[in-house]
Amino acid sequence: MRLKNKSSRTKTAEARKQRLLSLLEKHGLGIYEDLDKGKFPQFVVPSRSVNNIVYDKKLRQYILGSANSVRSARNMSQLRSYTQLAWLAFFVNRLVKEGKSSTLRDIYYSSQAFSIDFEDQPESDNIIVDLEAVLASPREEFHIFPEERSSVFGDLTIEYTVPGYEGKRVNLSDHPDGYLIGPSLSSAELVDTNAELVIAIEKGGLFTRFVEENVHKKFKAIIVDTAGQAPRSTRNLLRRLNNELSLPVVILADGDVYGEHIAMVIKSGSANAAHLRELTVPDAKWLGVWATDIEKYKLPTIPMTEADIKRIYDLQKDPRYQEGIWKKQLEAFLKLKRKAELEAFSKYGLTNITDKYLPAKLEESKSL
Amino acid sequence: MSSSKEIFSQISPSEFFYRNRDLAGFSNPTRSLYTSVREFVENSLDACDQKRILPDIHLSIKAADSEQPDPKHYVLTVKDNGPGVDPKHIPLAFGTVLYGSKFGLKQARGMFGLGATMAILYGQITTNKPVTVKSCADGKTLDEFVMLLDIQKNKPVILKHTTKEAAKSGLSVSIVLEGDYSKAGTKIRDYVSQTSLITPYASITFEDPSGEKFHYPRIVKEMPPPPTAIKPHSHGVDVETLRRMIVDTHYQIPAVDNKMIEKVRKELGMQKKNSSPKDIFNRAEKRWADLSRPVRTIIAVMSFMNIDFERLRKIRIDDVDVANKKIAYWDFGESQSHIVEVDPESTYYKQLANTVQGETLLTFLTKRFQRVGPTTAEKFCEFAKFKSEKRIGSMTNEELVKLADALQKFDEFLAPDPSCLAPLGEEPLSKGIIKFFNPEFAAVIQRNASAYSGFPFIVEMGIAYGGDIPPAGLKVYRFANRIPLLYDEGSDVVLKVINETDWSRYKVKGDPPLVLVSHICSTRIPYKTVGKENVADRPELERELKNALQYLARKLAVHMSRQGIAEMAKKRANLYAKYVPLIAQFATELSGKKKEPNYKQLVRMGSEIEEQI
Repeated sequence: MRLKNKSSRTKTAEARKQRLLSLLEKHGLGIYEDLDKGKFPQFVVPSRSVNNIVYDKKLRQYILGSANSVRSARNMSQLRSYTQLAWLAFFVNRLVKEGKSSTLRDIYYSSQAFSIDFEDQPESDNIIVDLEAVLASPREEFHIFPEERSSVFGDLTIEYTVPGYEGKRVNLSDHPDGYLIGPSLSSAELVDTNAELVIAIEKGGLFTRFVEENVHKKFKAIIVDTAGQAPRSTRNLLRRLNNELSLPVVILADGDVYGEHIAMVIKSGSANAAHLRELTVPDAKWLGVWATDIEKYKLPTIPMTEADIKRIYDLQKDPRYQEGIWKKQLEAFLKLKRKAELEAFSKYGLTNITDKYLPAKLEESKSL
Repeated sequence: MSSSKEIFSQISPSEFFYRNRDLAGFSNPTRSLYTSVREFVENSLDACDQKRILPDIHLSIKAADSEQPDPKHYVLTVKDNGPGVDPKHIPLAFGTVLYGSKFGLKQARGMFGLGATMAILYGQITTNKPVTVKSCADGKTLDEFVMLLDIQKNKPVILKHTTKEAAKSGLSVSIVLEGDYSKAGTKIRDYVSQTSLITPYASITFEDPSGEKFHYPRIVKEMPPPPTAIKPHSHGVDVETLRRMIVDTHYQIPAVDNKMIEKVRKELGMQKKNSSPKDIFNRAEKRWADLSRPVRTIIAVMSFMNIDFERLRKIRIDDVDVANKKIAYWDFGESQSHIVEVDPESTYYKQLANTVQGETLLTFLTKRFQRVGPTTAEKFCEFAKFKSEKRIGSMTNEELVKLADALQKFDEFLAPDPSCLAPLGEEPLSKGIIKFFNPEFAAVIQRNASAYSGFPFIVEMGIAYGGDIPPAGLKVYRFANRIPLLYDEGSDVVLKVINETDWSRYKVKGDPPLVLVSHICSTRIPYKTVGKENVADRPELERELKNALQYLARKLAVHMSRQGIAEMAKKRANLYAKYVPLIAQFATELSGKKKEPNYKQLVRMGSEIEEQI
């Protein structure tokens, strides 16, 4: 039984909520006082321009440099976007206080009730990222979620904090299709688990297969379907499983350059989210499918496209791909110029992947 | 081979125009109706201009039988409040071709008054109906003529002439002609409205065949200064013009008739008795300084023949051959010709010689041409390799060609005198444009006079933007000598200059609500075609148009950016008025305060601070 220690047991989600609310209040007060004094208020937004995104070796993720941009109400061309940002802070404050959740699309429409007109959703999405950068918190903490959802299944007991469900506990192995990683799950406290491992898998089909094949029992695992590139709420959950419950995280993705990068993003984040921490699992391990696995397991392959090969060259410039298995597999993919999907194991029987490949790779990963 | 004999015969000017009516704009019923309107309206305006009368023009077009389809017969009437025409000139003025009062060298709408007769001619050949001319020149009597034109003889045929009392002067011309108003209507209405724009001192009323009235009231009460008739410029004359000028300036031997003899006697104070030649010459010598030039010439001739008035009455002077010092005359009594020797020593010789050979080249140049002083004239003579004292009457044909050629080539003559031009003037043009378009912005410019090939010209231009002007892109109104040019816009020099302009440089974008009015004044507009609808691209003209356009475009750009700044300030104020209260609302809830902050100050500051980029 892995139990969280007593002090943080029910407080993790609540603490983050309180931290956010006080941050919002502080900003609100600042603006209020500026207005009262006849001063133009402003937000200091860490610059997210390419020049200001650097790789931090210690944190093992991309972070923003020290450059900031000032968005001031004094500047007429910034007044509108300043007001949009102030509105979003105000709106997030309501969402969090009232325990309501919202989607990116919702935000775009909600703004119209306050005569804040966004030209289009990309504009409102952009303001959301600005607020993330200002408050250094992911939008999931603002109760703003993207449309895409991934799922989780396994022996994990959570306790809801969302209104109407406060204190209610659920074990995530109760429903074989898994649980959506949505707002309520993201804001829930992680209470208890018997699992010893988290397996993140790229595809929904294989997620179902893993449940059917009792992988969660055989390997004492919590299985997470990332549904392609893992959404931030999923990455946040993976991190919490790793941090709060000290569960190791392993990743299974297609045997191509995109699969490799899905694993890398879970491990060390993306440049797009350089303004955010707590979305990475630095100790996560990429199990496969490696380029070398394709030959070793004699998997049926398909040829790479020009775009695939270009993507390899691009990633070879990324500082995170300069060593170890990451570098080695990129080179192997480039040499092979062929790729294999996770489903390729079905050639050798539907359970081949869970019976043969997974145990072998888990064994192999211990030496990584 | 059979030999054929060509028959040569003279045709009258009327017949010539009848055969070539296409040239003058009478090619079809549509064009002819439009051209006729133009000719009569322009004649009326010119007449009023000449007498400094604020024009009041009434134009009406009525179908003779409105049931008929076009083209059909229309009654076209143009009535003005001008000076009218002296009744004794009316038959010739309206009943013959090439009879006119506009042969002088100054700017006028029409040349020679040909067009009106052409319209009358056209009306007559298409409908066989006479022209009705009502004129009152003295403000008391109205003469009404109903006339036809004898085309072959170029003579009027008066069908009716009546007179009655009238209250004020004016002229009304009414013709019946074949026309097509359904097609020409748009152009005619455009013509009338644009004429009122360029003639803001005129009141113009147009009643169309449907009875609809278009009234364009007078906008300004001041008439622009009139043009003065001037002497030709040296660059603007050819050999033929030169020859005519010499004939004009040439002092002719006066015709000796009873009237002339009376004049001589009167000047000498010898009306009563018959005097001997000796008495006559003595008296002439005493009074020489007071005698007029023709009288002096007659006395000189009499002295060589040594005759008295009785004898003078019976002869006709045929030739004065100064070179050979001989005078030939015809004696009626004897019915035979006589030749007398002329004594070159005689004091009368010089008088006679000067008279016959005309002025010296120096005098001719300074007196007969505009803006030529003695210094320039001397320089020119040197340039042309003529002696300045050479008598122009003694020039041979070759010498005349050489002279005309040199006049063209000599480049030290001053630019042509623009006083013969009648631009509208900046103020009336501006008032006309403002009244006409009711724009948000208008600017006008009158360029200084310039010249091409010896013909002076002045470019006037106006620009108007916004207001009631529809945002349909630049619309150009072209005028030449106060005539709207409506056809053949594409090939016109004004359009060429406008199309070469990059409007985006002047902050004009898209389809702007923009109007340009261009007026070219010249004693001779360089039209491209006889239709007189498009002006050729002479480089001098193009340069002036371009300069005028650039000046106006810059003015417009200033206006546009001023307007831009004002709009920006307004936008600023609106933005801060909208957003600051919102920010206050959000901050109040975020900070958990009850009362909103006092943000009024910030709204005001926001609308005041300068734009920062």
